[in-house]
Amino acid sequence: MPGRVIKVKRAEKLGLLERLYVPMIAKGLLVTARHFFRNLRGFITGKNRTDFVVQFPEERIDYPDAFRGMPVLVQLENGEPRCVACGLCEFACPTDCISIVAGELPDSGIERYPEAFDIDMSRCMFCGLCEEACPEEAIVMSREVEISTFTRDAMLYRKADLLVPENLLKRRLDFLRGEYEREDAPSQSG
Amino acid sequence: MDHLTYRRPETGEDDLQKDLHTEHQILNMGPSHPATHGTVKFLIELDGETIISLDVQVGYLHRGFEKECEAGTWYQAIPYTDRLNYNSAILANIGYCLAVEKLLELDTPERCQWLRVLAGELSRLADHLTRCGATCLELQAMTPFLYGIEARELSWDLMEILCGARVTSNYVRIGGVKHGMPSSFPAICRENFEKIRKLLADFDEMVTSNRIFVDRLKGTGILSREDCLRYAVTGPLLRAAGVPLDVRKQEPYLTYDEIDFDIPIGEVGDNYDRYLVCVEEMHQSMRIVEQCLAKLEALGPGPVDVLDPRVRWPAKGRVFNQMEELIQQFKSVTEGPRVPAGEGYLAIESANGELGFYLVSDGSAVPHKVRCRPPSLINLAPLHLMVKGGLLGDLIPTFDLLNMIGGECDR
Amino acid sequence: MADPLAVLLAARGDAVLESHERLGDATAVVDPVELVAVMRFLRDSDGLDFEMLTDLTGVDYLGREPRFEVVYHLYSVKHNHRLRIVVRLPEDAPEVDSLVEVWPSADWMEREAWDMYGIRFRNHGDLRRLLLYEEFEGHPLRKDYPKERRQPLIGPRN
Repeated sequence: MPGRVIKVKRAEKLGLLERLYVPMIAKGLLVTARHFFRNLRGFITGKNRTDFVVQFPEERIDYPDAFRGMPVLVQLENGEPRCVACGLCEFACPTDCISIVAGELPDSGIERYPEAFDIDMSRCMFCGLCEEACPEEAIVMSREVEISTFTRDAMLYRKADLLVPENLLKRRLDFLRGEYEREDAPSQSG
Repeated sequence: MDHLTYRRPETGEDDLQKDLHTEHQILNMGPSHPATHGTVKFLIELDGETIISLDVQVGYLHRGFEKECEAGTWYQAIPYTDRLNYNSAILANIGYCLAVEKLLELDTPERCQWLRVLAGELSRLADHLTRCGATCLELQAMTPFLYGIEARELSWDLMEILCGARVTSNYVRIGGVKHGMPSSFPAICRENFEKIRKLLADFDEMVTSNRIFVDRLKGTGILSREDCLRYAVTGPLLRAAGVPLDVRKQEPYLTYDEIDFDIPIGEVGDNYDRYLVCVEEMHQSMRIVEQCLAKLEALGPGPVDVLDPRVRWPAKGRVFNQMEELIQQFKSVTEGPRVPAGEGYLAIESANGELGFYLVSDGSAVPHKVRCRPPSLINLAPLHLMVKGGLLGDLIPTFDLLNMIGGECDR
Repeated sequence: MADPLAVLLAARGDAVLESHERLGDATAVVDPVELVAVMRFLRDSDGLDFEMLTDLTGVDYLGREPRFEVVYHLYSVKHNHRLRIVVRLPEDAPEVDSLVEVWPSADWMEREAWDMYGIRFRNHGDLRRLLLYEEFEGHPLRKDYPKERRQPLIGPRN
């Protein structure tokens, strides 16, 4: 096994400069000044910014592809959810925040649809297990995270609040589909 | 200059009482004290400013982690393990999943193991950055704290790209990981590491040989090697006391036996050693991540899960098209893996020390017992030994470098 | 390096009720009466040197007699080996001798086991609840404690 045990270097005896203290203050000021001017330049020019400040409502961060926001329902072009109310997400959810009431559609090819589909966002912990469980790509993790409300009741999202047209979720769906292909490749071991 | 350096009083408690004729004072510190980042209460007996005795009261963040795990399937416990240590969620993920895999006697593919190491070391880096930064903050050095947090921000950015969430990543699965590494990840990772290294250099320049910092840390909070072992203290605290114990080296799990990294140890076991050990471990973690990146790039894209229908939910591409796989998906989700009856203990090296999971299965789809051995709690127990006879002000940096995380300590 | 379980069985086989090495974890079920003596032997004898009590927890097997188990995980830094010691305790009197004298790390872990399972540790000296508060009713990790059970509200203490 490579690697060894190394002993950390303790500054047992501080040098004269360090003990005199004033030169170290100057050195510290130099470091902070370097940061200050670099940040200031970035702030003014807007290029190569090194600070992490985001002027929130005007400026937003572009989340990476894998980002998990709040779970939403995929809405088909006819305005209906893709969900078939199978209830797998209900089972998978560790916090039991999803509740579904299934209804039947006798004439269509799908037969089942969710009459009610509620997610209690105050309990949801954005783990993404519902998305993994769904056999229809009907519930996905969106890029939406701003779910603050004035009342506790408003945290209960109904079906109408959860529906998001498919084309707005394209980035997430593409990410998920990219993973399916990878999984289909033959395994190395196990 | 010698008279300026702080020296621990050489007299025992009795002499102190005799000489000063002061009345002891009981101080309640916490549960929500601005100087302790973590909800914990100290009951301190003080003689002037010297700590005579200390009682730590924990449990303010108890959420019944073990009871919750016993209520859901084996799968549903994974998001809860995220919430143990908010700085290094993935390490708890890895510990739990490895323990379940031990009960299942399951081997994971190579790519998945490298990804786990990669994600785990990133979170170790974030954890140590918080620890060192917060120590500076409690010693009134705001700027190094901000540099530490800036570097942690960069490492959390990497986590977000890799796992989909910054803190509660929920990335590791029983028998695999959630998804593979995005192709853009290695380049961003190397770029961010360059920035982190620069920030660490600045941090080092401002703090490591700073007189105030050194004087405050050196010789305070000493815990000897023997006391560490008697109190089962592990992690950077034990290594600072001079014991080169690291589960990654002693009982290599995942692919740690193929990775080249060093174990930093200290001499005295005081706060200064702990700080130095943590700084060195950050550099080692970055070294490990770079080796993982090289290896993963060589391996190329491919499956990151075992193809074992007992364990892993079937690949979605097949679920949509094949009836059998769809049925399997229903079975996997509603029931989850059935783990053979038995018990197993598996320890990994988390950022705070040995994080162990002791699982008992009765053969059903629900765990019978999930015990997490929390390093935070066990390292906190000998705190009274570390601070006894020291000054009240030294309690805070000692407590910071101990890095007690409420979520993990109280579960 | 000797196999710790074999050494234990050879020297103190009388105190070991059962042993196995499933999944690579050497496990010995020890007579509760002999626990402290066995632990001292494990800590002090050459070739074993278990300096650390890494973990201590209770397990509740409701419906089985003896109902409770206390599980100890030992680790030796010197030899890099582990051993699991189990004692089984009856439902009506879950009591076992404390190990605080042998390893001080047992202090908090025994308090936690008392807190969660109601297992009493004799001669502990300071057996308070660790994570929960003194007014808490029942022991939550017992299998007959329902997850949803509410606790009575307590007012301010003074």
